[in-house]
Amino acid sequence: MTWREMDQILVGVPAPSAQEHLRDCKRCHELSTAFGQPLPLETPSATMLRQIERAMTADLKPVRPRPPASQLIVALAAIFFFAFALGVYAMGTAGFAAMSPLQAWVILGGLAISAGVLIQSLVSQISPGSGHRFPAKLLPAGILIVLAIVVAGVFPFQSERHFWERGWFCLRLGTPISVLTIIPFWLVLRRGAILSPVLTGAAAGLLAGLVGTSVLEIHCPNLDAWHRLYSHVGVAVLCSVLGLAWGFVFDLADWYFAHGRGRDRLLSSKP
Amino acid sequence: MVEGCLQQNPIEREASADLDRWMQRYQEADPEAPTALVTALSPALLRFFRSQVASREHADDLLQETWLRIHRVRHSYRPGEPVLPWIYTIARRVRVDGYRRRLRIKTHEADMEVLPKRPVAAEGRGWLPAFDTLVAALPESQREVVTMLKVGGLSLEEVARSTASTIGAVKQKAHRAYAKLRKLLEAHEEFRGGAQ
Repeated sequence: MTWREMDQILVGVPAPSAQEHLRDCKRCHELSTAFGQPLPLETPSATMLRQIERAMTADLKPVRPRPPASQLIVALAAIFFFAFALGVYAMGTAGFAAMSPLQAWVILGGLAISAGVLIQSLVSQISPGSGHRFPAKLLPAGILIVLAIVVAGVFPFQSERHFWERGWFCLRLGTPISVLTIIPFWLVLRRGAILSPVLTGAAAGLLAGLVGTSVLEIHCPNLDAWHRLYSHVGVAVLCSVLGLAWGFVFDLADWYFAHGRGRDRLLSSKP
Repeated sequence: MVEGCLQQNPIEREASADLDRWMQRYQEADPEAPTALVTALSPALLRFFRSQVASREHADDLLQETWLRIHRVRHSYRPGEPVLPWIYTIARRVRVDGYRRRLRIKTHEADMEVLPKRPVAAEGRGWLPAFDTLVAALPESQREVVTMLKVGGLSLEEVARSTASTIGAVKQKAHRAYAKLRKLLEAHEEFRGGAQ
């Protein structure tokens, strides 16, 4: 039996080819009969429905629908690019000059693709029912792993004397840029971060972290892979964790206030 | 009027378009819109929750919670987009949140000496088990897909959108569910044959 025929049986409108199969196959016929039985009517109680309706009508105000996905993508990409350009302008491009063309292409290309994928995923996350091209749960970790592999593959591992001091210096440069970028990202995303603020927070934090990482890649002439992993990719990791924590707090606060208010409304509308 | 239209399966496309219009009117604060949407969608949503949780009371709670959440996030619906995946995505989220909350509560509660009885499974036509009894034997993800297709009347694409997966993954789950149900029916018949 083909999928199409099976699908037709599932939804109860088998085509002639599926009907033919049903005549020949006893099991499928039985299953189709079982699925074709009228479902016992189990309706919600009228009282409960009236309560829900009253609660919904009580503070019914017009709302502005979410902007189209294309607008959100452009807004997020514009914020990313603007913050990146501002950071590079302020810090200089010594790192870009130190890299070979291959290193520059691979690392900047990787960062650009990661940012694009994250933006696409974020827009899907804030648009319920829009489907997901990338699994939102795994994406931040996946991007960080891929970035680490790219850095380890493109830059040489060296031993340097002042590893921690230099790393800390870059981390301190990159993190404030990213933390400041989280604010405009969150302003775009906050109305839509309704399904899983924790995941949205982690992805938004990572996106902001990628701004700092990109600026450091262009600015820092240190080509040691350990340094880049610790302090450049480290900015992205740190901001992703910050975003996750922020999403968690937002989720808790939102649930506490909105749920409490909603419940109160529902209870107070009981006859 | 959309009232009662979702109690039939498959959902008529015109009814779905009606829902889109009601959703738009809901966003514009038309006071008739909540009633129309709640009346049209609640039976299917209740069935969706009932197929996932045993108790009617819990399913009722989840239904109320879903409508409160829908009311709160109604701005996130984009006019012109299909309304059913939007609704079911929120309903799924409410179910997951409800499950986590109950899990948290459970860990703080002592076990009861007598467990509450599960609702008696509905009898089907003749010797065949009822739909609820059949799908109850499926793993959760397959049960969800079959319930959305059969009870919610969603298309494959809509189920994929609601469950944040691909059409291929939905087809695979439905295919596995179908194969498992066939086996179950076979075992059911053998059991009945043996009993007679």
